Amino acid sequence: MRAEQKTASLMAGPYAAFLLVFAVYPIAFALVLVFLQWDLVTAPTFAGADNIRLLVHDGRFWSAVANTFVFLSIHVPLQIITALALALALNRQLVGRSFWRAAFFLPVVISGAVVAILWSNLYATDVGLINHLLVKIGLSPVPWLTDPRTAMPAIAVMVTWKNVGFYVIIYLAGLQYIPRSCQEAIEIEGASAWQRFRYLTLPSLLPQTILVVTLSTINGFQLFIEPYVMTGGGPLRRTYSVVLYLYNNAFAYQKMGYAATIGVALALIIGIVVFAQRRLIGKAEAL
Amino acid sequence: MPSVTFEHVTKRFGDATVIEDFDLQVADGELLVLVGGSGSGKSTILRMLAGLETVTSGRIRIDDRDVTDLAPRDRDVAMVFQDYGLYPHMTVRDNLSLGLRLRKIPRHEIDRRVAWAAGMLGLEPLLDRKPKALSGGQRQRVAMGRAMVREPKVFLFDEPLSNLDAGLRAQMRIEIGSLQDRLKTTTVYVTHDQVEAMTLGDRIVVLADGRIQQIGRPIELYRTPVNRFVAGFIGTPAMNFIEGTLAADGGRMFFSAEAARLKMRAGTAESSEPITLGIRPEDLRMDFIPQQPTHGSADFDTLTGRVVLVERLGGTSHVHFQVGPHRLMASVASDSLPEVGHDITAHVPAARVHLFGGDGRAIGRTAEIV
Repeated sequence: MRAEQKTASLMAGPYAAFLLVFAVYPIAFALVLVFLQWDLVTAPTFAGADNIRLLVHDGRFWSAVANTFVFLSIHVPLQIITALALALALNRQLVGRSFWRAAFFLPVVISGAVVAILWSNLYATDVGLINHLLVKIGLSPVPWLTDPRTAMPAIAVMVTWKNVGFYVIIYLAGLQYIPRSCQEAIEIEGASAWQRFRYLTLPSLLPQTILVVTLSTINGFQLFIEPYVMTGGGPLRRTYSVVLYLYNNAFAYQKMGYAATIGVALALIIGIVVFAQRRLIGKAEAL
Repeated sequence: MPSVTFEHVTKRFGDATVIEDFDLQVADGELLVLVGGSGSGKSTILRMLAGLETVTSGRIRIDDRDVTDLAPRDRDVAMVFQDYGLYPHMTVRDNLSLGLRLRKIPRHEIDRRVAWAAGMLGLEPLLDRKPKALSGGQRQRVAMGRAMVREPKVFLFDEPLSNLDAGLRAQMRIEIGSLQDRLKTTTVYVTHDQVEAMTLGDRIVVLADGRIQQIGRPIELYRTPVNRFVAGFIGTPAMNFIEGTLAADGGRMFFSAEAARLKMRAGTAESSEPITLGIRPEDLRMDFIPQQPTHGSADFDTLTGRVVLVERLGGTSHVHFQVGPHRLMASVASDSLPEVGHDITAHVPAARVHLFGGDGRAIGRTAEIV
């Protein structure tokens, strides 16, 4: 037994060390920083609850939170619909199915900054491909990233495109788990294609949908690279996300204590939102 | 008018022909069992009738309606699956009623039918449970109830009892039988279990390699199998076989094999081809004291052998014995049994003997034993 314990500690050791250095320590450090003022250069000073008081009354922080919710309200539903639709399509007997599956997964493994630059070009008002196509079919070009009304939705569409392959895999796994006899039974019972989806496929995919909602929400709250690379938070601060605000406080304004406070607040918000989502979906399931 | 008709139905998957030129008529209200080993094509036939598989050529009719090209939902059939196919996210009540709701049956009629099926199958206390909270037998009943409430033209059962343990299987077998008796709905029932086939079927279709071997009432298949396959497949324990030849001697036919010589029924035709003799274990009568001469009595109606194994099953026992190179088995009452290593004599009543030619077909069949 003692030898086994020794082996177990040895095996768990490296990961435990990793966790300690890159998760436990930073979290503890951030919690300490909330009560400090520190510019990275001079020695930190104790600030009491100053950072928290500042955060509560900081309009910029709350508008960044609002922006992030705007992003989520577009991104999460769009992510569910596109991932589910693609999974249904890719689950059929399809010529070149493996190719299509790989193709839709590819953006997931491409660097976020690369995707952001690529889509900046696609969205460009005068020379972008999307506007080029709009003009071709007789519409006027849209200043996607420079119009305050379209900038955040444009970013949401792009992020959805980048991540869809990951969620498609989750849904594909769920689809393959639906017993064939259930699908045949409902067919014999008289269901149309839509009714089969409505009464069998969609409810069977509820666990996957919960996962997609949770992951895309957590992911969405961490929106950073896209506005950082594409818009810098503009126009009119409409794409200014919480993490971008956190980043600027830390590394542009060198307010490490305040940045840490934003980070802890964001973690709390994510926790509350995900908990609320799960409660809601759980209630829907019980119906 | 037959309720279900297959006309020259052939099914190919790529180059492989699974069903060839299949003809069958199922009478109205009949319970017909398709039985065969795996790969015999029995499930494919059922799935073609359900519309879950297309037909390569030929026609399928339900009543006078050609359903060959109709979608499953338009055929007015209900199917019970081996793994039940219950909707896991729905309660028993919703599982039972979904098909009716999809077909826009009025609410009060749905309630009536669900109550009727639940009452008949003892499902009332389970109506608000989900399938995962049910035992295997209960799930099986829900699957049957779901088929019943549809009140379809034809019930299709695809190995419905295979996932149940032996005791439950026997109980559900009786329930299905009595249910069909009361409902009088035409039923096609697929199984690999010949006991299920014998006990349930009004008629049985024995299949091998996508072809019908024999169709008949259970007792017909048991008493007069048309070929060696059916003889070996129907009946438990399985029939004994001995390879040998037929020859006439003094006006009577004799079957001869190594260590065995048996007198055949009068009227058995002479044959020059190799012959297989079949005798069911329950048709052998056993004496524990071997008679002389060693190769059967003067009447040539016995085999002499040595006991190699005794399986005690309770009321009956299986006595395995060796006759020359042939391993045979007799099913006998357990009151007095031989010991392993003892010599015994087995009486082979000529009237109970089955003979099969080189191609496996029954020969010299006589009608009097039917």
